[in-house]
Amino acid sequence: MPAFTCGIYTYKEHGMTNEEYLPQVRSAVAEALGIDEDEVTPTATLLDELGAESIDLLDMLFRLQRTTGVKIQASDLAHYVQGGIADDEFGDEEKDVITPVGMAQLKIVMPQIVAMNLDGKLSPEKVMSYFTVENLVDLVVSRATPVAS
Amino acid sequence: MKLQDKVALVTGGAKGIGRAICVALASEGASVAVNYRSSKAEALDLVHEIEAAGSKGIAIAGDVSNAAEAVSMVEQTVAELGGLHVLVNNAGIVKDTLIFNMQPDDWQSVMNVNFGGVFNGTKAALSQFMAQREGTIINISSVMGERGWIGQANYSASKGAINAFTRSAAVELARFGIRVNAVLPGFAPTDMVAELVDKGGRGIKKQIPLRDFARVEDVASLVVFLAGPDSTYMTGTCLPVDGGASAQLGLGRPE
Repeated sequence: MPAFTCGIYTYKEHGMTNEEYLPQVRSAVAEALGIDEDEVTPTATLLDELGAESIDLLDMLFRLQRTTGVKIQASDLAHYVQGGIADDEFGDEEKDVITPVGMAQLKIVMPQIVAMNLDGKLSPEKVMSYFTVENLVDLVVSRATPVAS
Repeated sequence: MKLQDKVALVTGGAKGIGRAICVALASEGASVAVNYRSSKAEALDLVHEIEAAGSKGIAIAGDVSNAAEAVSMVEQTVAELGGLHVLVNNAGIVKDTLIFNMQPDDWQSVMNVNFGGVFNGTKAALSQFMAQREGTIINISSVMGERGWIGQANYSASKGAINAFTRSAAVELARFGIRVNAVLPGFAPTDMVAELVDKGGRGIKKQIPLRDFARVEDVASLVVFLAGPDSTYMTGTCLPVDGGASAQLGLGRPE
């Protein structure tokens, strides 16, 4: 994942907004993937479980831009997950594993991995496979908040 | 009026086939951005003609072979005409010569303008089209992209690339509500091919089943069709407008 500098996200403070955006995210994901909205549960992972490919992600983001007005670039997705941490601090290339610093960041944006006991085992390549519908909602909220406030 | 409230950008729109396309799109109600590289006077004349006929038009300078200039063309169109719905990648050049004599720049410049222009224009328009889930792209190619002609190897290759790109782009962009088609004119007597048709005019006409050159309006009317609501189920096509020339095997008769 590329290095990225960004602001601190405060999505945690906007629980109500998550509720608002969930239906729009579910509908965008379902339409982009051509699947039933019932399959798009908050905990479903986009790539692994729902089978999204890069063109599907692009499609979702443009659909969300239309329905929510929140503009998210495809490259923002990786940037958001990495949280501005430099590549070499985020992952240990030699061992092909996410560093403790990287894991701490991932547990913020993908809280569901806390219980998965992935420390010292997660390959950088696999990170996005844990990204869920709910995580995407958080990303939308984090991008919507600065505009709203 | 089939293109009411639509905005079109036509690259290389000041002269030849591009000019006819601008006129035809405007006559269906579209606002038209006329891109030109060197033909400023012709572009401004055309804008006056479009406005006199009751549509909106602007002239935009820019070289399609330059990606940054293609981006600013799109931005200027959106800013001044309030949107973009139809992109006609029309700008093209020829540098006819035998392969034996062809210099690197002879094919690279033709490739950069003809195919590079299609690529740059398409890429520049995408975020607008994808965000609105609406857009039609019409690439002006040539029957030369499907067949050969002595002295046009560089041009033919650039048009073949456009046809291949048209198909791939259509497949990739369909889900974003964007249609991509190509129009393949046969011989249309414009400044660009003046030398060819002046020199070989009668001989060429004899080889065309419909026995005449294409009028630029014949090409423009197909572009309007592909840009508008009558072709909503068409994408990825490469349609010849060639009087039957490319349908024919050889001369289509013994001699």
